[in-house]
Amino acid sequence: MQEAKEQASARDFTSPQVLEPWTGIKKVAHEEYYTSGHRTCQGCESAQMMRLLAKAAGPRTIVVGATGCMYVANTTYYSTPWVLPWMHTQLGSAGSAATGTAAGLRALMRKGKMDKEPINVIAVCGDGGGADMGLSAISAALQHTQYNLLVMLYDNESYANTDIQISGSSPYGVNTSFSPPGKLHRIMHKHWKKNTAPMLAVGHPDCRYVATVVASNAVDTLNKVRRALSIGGPTFLHSLNPCPKGWDYDPKYSQQIGELAVETGIWPLYEIEDRKLKMYGKSQHIASGVVKRKPVSEYLLRQGRFAHFTQEDIARVQARTDEMWEKWFLPGVIALSGA
Amino acid sequence: MATGSVEIVYRGVFQKTLAKNICRGIVFAARKQGKVGIAFSRYSDSPERNGIPAKQFAVVADTDEEMEEYLSRYEPDSNDVTIVADDTLCKGIESWAWNGLQPVNRMLKAGGTLLVTSTRSANSLIRDIHRKGEPFNLAVVKGRASFSGMWVYRDDHTDMRLLGALAKVAPHIVTLDSIVAAINEPKKNDLKAASAKQAYDLVASTTVGANQGNDTVPFRFDLPGWRKMEECLVVGARKVKQEVPGWDGGYVPGRNPTYKKFTTRTLRPVINFDTCTKCTICWMQCPDTAFDITPDGYYDANMEACCGCGICEAVCPVANCVTMVNEEAFTDNQSQWRMWAKDKKTYAAWRVERISLPAVRSHGFQHLGQYAEEIANERR
Amino acid sequence: MSAVDTAIPTPKKSPLDVVIAPRTENEELISGSEAIAHAVRLANVDVITAYPIRPYDTVMQYVSKMIADGDFDCEFIVAESEHSQFEIVKHASAVGARVFAGSSGVGWFYAFEALAVTAGLRLPMVAMVGNRALDDPGAFGVEHNDALAVRDLGWMLCWVSTAQEALDTALIAYRVAEDPRIFLPCAISCDGAFLTHSQSIVKVPSQAMVDSFLPRYDRGDKRLHPDNPITIAPQVNEDWLMEMRRQSDEAARRASDVLIEAYRDFNAKFGRGGEPFIERYMMDDAEVALVGMGTMAMPVKVAVRKMREQGKKVGFVRVRWFRPFPTRELQDALADVHAVGVIDRDFSFGSAFFSGVLANELRSALYPAKKKNQPKILSFIAGLGGREVSTGNVMKMTKTVFDAANGVGTDAQDTYWIGARE
Repeated sequence: MQEAKEQASARDFTSPQVLEPWTGIKKVAHEEYYTSGHRTCQGCESAQMMRLLAKAAGPRTIVVGATGCMYVANTTYYSTPWVLPWMHTQLGSAGSAATGTAAGLRALMRKGKMDKEPINVIAVCGDGGGADMGLSAISAALQHTQYNLLVMLYDNESYANTDIQISGSSPYGVNTSFSPPGKLHRIMHKHWKKNTAPMLAVGHPDCRYVATVVASNAVDTLNKVRRALSIGGPTFLHSLNPCPKGWDYDPKYSQQIGELAVETGIWPLYEIEDRKLKMYGKSQHIASGVVKRKPVSEYLLRQGRFAHFTQEDIARVQARTDEMWEKWFLPGVIALSGA
Repeated sequence: MATGSVEIVYRGVFQKTLAKNICRGIVFAARKQGKVGIAFSRYSDSPERNGIPAKQFAVVADTDEEMEEYLSRYEPDSNDVTIVADDTLCKGIESWAWNGLQPVNRMLKAGGTLLVTSTRSANSLIRDIHRKGEPFNLAVVKGRASFSGMWVYRDDHTDMRLLGALAKVAPHIVTLDSIVAAINEPKKNDLKAASAKQAYDLVASTTVGANQGNDTVPFRFDLPGWRKMEECLVVGARKVKQEVPGWDGGYVPGRNPTYKKFTTRTLRPVINFDTCTKCTICWMQCPDTAFDITPDGYYDANMEACCGCGICEAVCPVANCVTMVNEEAFTDNQSQWRMWAKDKKTYAAWRVERISLPAVRSHGFQHLGQYAEEIANERR
Repeated sequence: MSAVDTAIPTPKKSPLDVVIAPRTENEELISGSEAIAHAVRLANVDVITAYPIRPYDTVMQYVSKMIADGDFDCEFIVAESEHSQFEIVKHASAVGARVFAGSSGVGWFYAFEALAVTAGLRLPMVAMVGNRALDDPGAFGVEHNDALAVRDLGWMLCWVSTAQEALDTALIAYRVAEDPRIFLPCAISCDGAFLTHSQSIVKVPSQAMVDSFLPRYDRGDKRLHPDNPITIAPQVNEDWLMEMRRQSDEAARRASDVLIEAYRDFNAKFGRGGEPFIERYMMDDAEVALVGMGTMAMPVKVAVRKMREQGKKVGFVRVRWFRPFPTRELQDALADVHAVGVIDRDFSFGSAFFSGVLANELRSALYPAKKKNQPKILSFIAGLGGREVSTGNVMKMTKTVFDAANGVGTDAQDTYWIGARE
């Protein structure tokens, strides 16, 4: 009897927590696990993403955060807005930090050195930490199917914490501290944004859940986090976080800019669960042809970081966005052409 | 005094270029007079965050040795002039955690000048500025605070006007002639020079007496020593919930006592609880977790936590339910919901009076050509 | 935290109460790497991360086999780089897990960022460094520069000279690193090839013996857990960092006393272990002394014996712990000699007198001792890249030290490269 109990308990801590989706905005829990008193910019959508992440995960959670705005701004100086236990990790270490935390808990519980219970383990990193420096560690983490962990990349499309420099996740042509428009070169940054979420989803067949989110769509974001934590094994979320400072727009429009990124088709919302792709929200309407994509100019011209764009530049971004939806093997997701 | 220093207190990011231009003007003007000058921004403000108070300094001296003596301090703690680039900073500044609420005139030497851009009267500003043991001067450059973003500068000559006014209030640091000469290099610019001269002519200065002004005591902290600090780089987490008297059944999140962030605010939301549908969107979209959930299910923006981003106004689906109002209309951080719950009629009158104040202030870029349009409108 | 005492205690010449405890130990023919693997098993380590690089990685071969055979239960993770390897165990340590990792040469350097923050965070990781020359050019042989690179960061650092000492020191390392008065990481250096790959008879203690010596790791109120919500390593500015550094400094100062306690208990329970910081060999009436670390001890001891047979009063001091540096012990051991020859298996290009790292450190430690007797200090750079240091080499070095002692033909501050072809 005792033995059976122990076995059940052993299964318990290796299974993830069960976090049912919240069925509407009024069902969302009041409790905040990332609260006021962070030193982020007015209208910071990355901070809003942290808030949603912590709220969705709930109290039995450990968060580790890689260097970036969500480290430096949040804990400036010798201070914290976190209700959850939180620990800094190095810029390229989100994947390792999640793995180490999960491994430590698992070993201690299995060996009876710690009370057995499922504890959510979440690592957060920016696009510099996630899509650039930490990519290999995240890739490794997504192979560790024995651990329940979530890596969230909060993407503000630059190294924002060092005063806005281009990362692999910055969009074409953008003005940053390392890609200023000049007299000779109007466009200094000629790369296209790295397509991180599908790369990780396709490259790690044992990872059961990858999704893209945007904070302007709060309830969906909360539920994607809850799904990612409930499904088990390592999971990955890629969030687009409008950055009023680096993108140069009035902070009151943070939510609108996020919505425009989706409505123009620049930021498709989808989830890939057990290798099955599902578009959701406005992206699903775009994919199914129910609504037309808005022109990208509506998004670009609202932001000072694109103020140097000519009509030709806007047309170029429009053409690439059209291509995403009209030519790609999986529209908006996978940049292969179908036979 | 052979050295003179100017402190510029401004809104992070929004006025970074403005502050830099002012520093540049001071240093080059000093060079025109054969003096030495340097400029620097406070390192701990970096990276600047939108709206969070930041500082830059320009120091002028007759000789290199005098300059060195002045700079042997980490941060000039006694300035001839403090330029306040946005009048809402007069309520005090909290630049980072444990800094406390610092009076805007804290680093101003006795008899120095606080130079503020504002559309308000000197008397109205004195209401906000914390009292000081010694008298100082208050000079106002008439005009709205000039805000730009990271990449596109709103070139409305506020920098030039502040330089011109500085020459008036502190001629021992820079003269108008040297300011104009600096403005005209490397390229002559009559319009900018005219802005500086006009401000020089118009700026008026009044004396603020010892212990005159805002008599509230700003909150402050004492930093613990290493024996008292937690070892292993640990700080305690926040509480999930605060118990607040008279708030039974509602929810007030735990908040960070050592960093409140409200001095970041230039506008605050004023809420019409009579038309509020409790849709939750303002609460849900607030990155600063500023909304307290009231016992009767309303969302009350907590003024100790709100940094005034304006998202709540932008996302509210009910017309005129949330209105951003200039901070000058307020003297405290009291709960609006408590005021409303106590007396709905009085609150309605209070609210209408507040929202009648023009709140026009762009916190950075909204669309291409906007700054030029706004400047043209202001000229009219 | 315990009461703070900033004074460095003066150790007694023999601080050990040697009581032989009842022992049940198996004798096995194993390498230094395998000896450490046994220590890790006996310490019931919770999380281990591996990444391949010669010569340290032999320890992970033994560990993985023990796990595969069911002799040992832990989370064993093969990381995708040394950086991740050390980051993973760092975070496991933060939630209260006992951890082990290791590396060599440039692998240790690839992890360098993680090594720095582990010490900053005061996490008691124990790591094995299989000492290896740094690239470029690629070389497998031993040099000590890899491990020495962390000497200023708060890592405790030691060099062992036998497989038995490797096993024993690993157990002591866990006890001291995880002591709540300390909470600092510890690296155990084993000379590549000479120790990692050569086998000798080692007494492997029973689990019961180890359990009586090594308590469980308890991170207390610094443990990252939902029941203990804390924020670890908030960003700081100049208002805070100096106090945090001072706390680490205090922990590093306390480490000496805690090490002495641990050795005393180890000697009592295991009947071996010796003096904590240094090993004195034929030092009683020595006129000159050689000083070195690690497996260098073998040829040096042989040479010292030979020279003693010839009537030359030479002794040897083997430095076991480099951090905390045994300042008082070395001042004491070298109080009566006229000259010291420090044999470094490392280099410090461009440093004072172009000496080795240990020589420079020793000079600094002996400087205040001048009121009584300040010996002349010579620096020998030897055995780089795994080159053999022969007894003949040692005897030549000793002659130079005697010459210096007698004031013959040498400047005491000189640095000599031994065995490099001209």
